[in-house]
Amino acid sequence: MKCEEIKPHLMAYLDGEIEQEKKGEIEKHLSECESCRKEYQSFVKLKEVTNKMRFADLSDELWAGYWKRIYRRIERGTGWILLSIGAIILLSFGVYQFFKEFLLDPYVSLIVKVGVSIFALGAIILLVSIIRERLFLFKTERYGEVEK
Amino acid sequence: MDQDQQLIVQLKKGKMKAFQKLVEKYKKPAFFIALGLVGNRDDAYDLSQEAFIRVYANMRKLNPKLKFFSWFYTILSNLCKNHLRKMAVRKNYIKSSMANTEMKHLKQRALSPDVLVEKNEIALRLWEEIKKLPFEFKEIILLKHFQGFSYKEISEMLNIPMGSVMSRLYYARKKLKDNLKDVFN
Ligand SMILES: [Zn+2]
Repeated sequence: MKCEEIKPHLMAYLDGEIEQEKKGEIEKHLSECESCRKEYQSFVKLKEVTNKMRFADLSDELWAGYWKRIYRRIERGTGWILLSIGAIILLSFGVYQFFKEFLLDPYVSLIVKVGVSIFALGAIILLVSIIRERLFLFKTERYGEVEK
Repeated sequence: MDQDQQLIVQLKKGKMKAFQKLVEKYKKPAFFIALGLVGNRDDAYDLSQEAFIRVYANMRKLNPKLKFFSWFYTILSNLCKNHLRKMAVRKNYIKSSMANTEMKHLKQRALSPDVLVEKNEIALRLWEEIKKLPFEFKEIILLKHFQGFSYKEISEMLNIPMGSVMSRLYYARKKLKDNLKDVFN
């Protein structure tokens, strides 16, 4: 085996993941090839150093509060969605009632009717857009590649 | 069915208790992987929680036959990748607008000396160098060294063949080793 082919297998050898039949081959190469042996030794050293590095743990309070915080965030998200849906239903009903009388009223001039209608339409579009943003915030992007 | 599979079946039926069990089981690896990837405890706490929330929001897509953690890892690493990208943009923006106090604040965040247990010189240097690695190298070093996943588990999490796990690990370690040359000699 050439050095270049051996190199990735040095990792498996180092991490104890080498297949039995490859093991002898690697050991033979290491005993014969000085440059690979040197490289392997420096990997051993790197591994020793990295194994000593440890991340500090969080406090018990933070771990204890971990689930609670997730639960609260989910609960709020759901609360928001329900609140918004309810608001839309009530609002649409109110708008519908209002327009039924307002637009049929012969004493209001046409220009005011048009103005108010456009204004209301704008308000509804804004509201719907905010709600949609909320909903999509909840389930975003990239799940295509997650489904393997 | 193993425990995770049972929990996923329960979760898909809307059982909050099952979701809680999954969170309790995987919160630590989730947090520490995020910490290694983004290098800041507050952000790691938030991002790992965000990943769990996305699992909940997308539970319909969960397949009990697939390994939960490798699915979860994909979500988590994407969140971390996006976070790093956003931070880099912000850094550039601040650099160009010369807001010094903001810059100092960002630097402090990046250093975050409270991340490591031992604060000896070699450990700090190693951590600095790991943070500088390209994302793909950094993640494989973290998964192997700090989480102790097997090659097979890593190949499932990163969705790459075993051969690629070995060669990527080789190049990642080689780069790290070369950057630390002065420490080793
Ligand atoms: Zn050789």
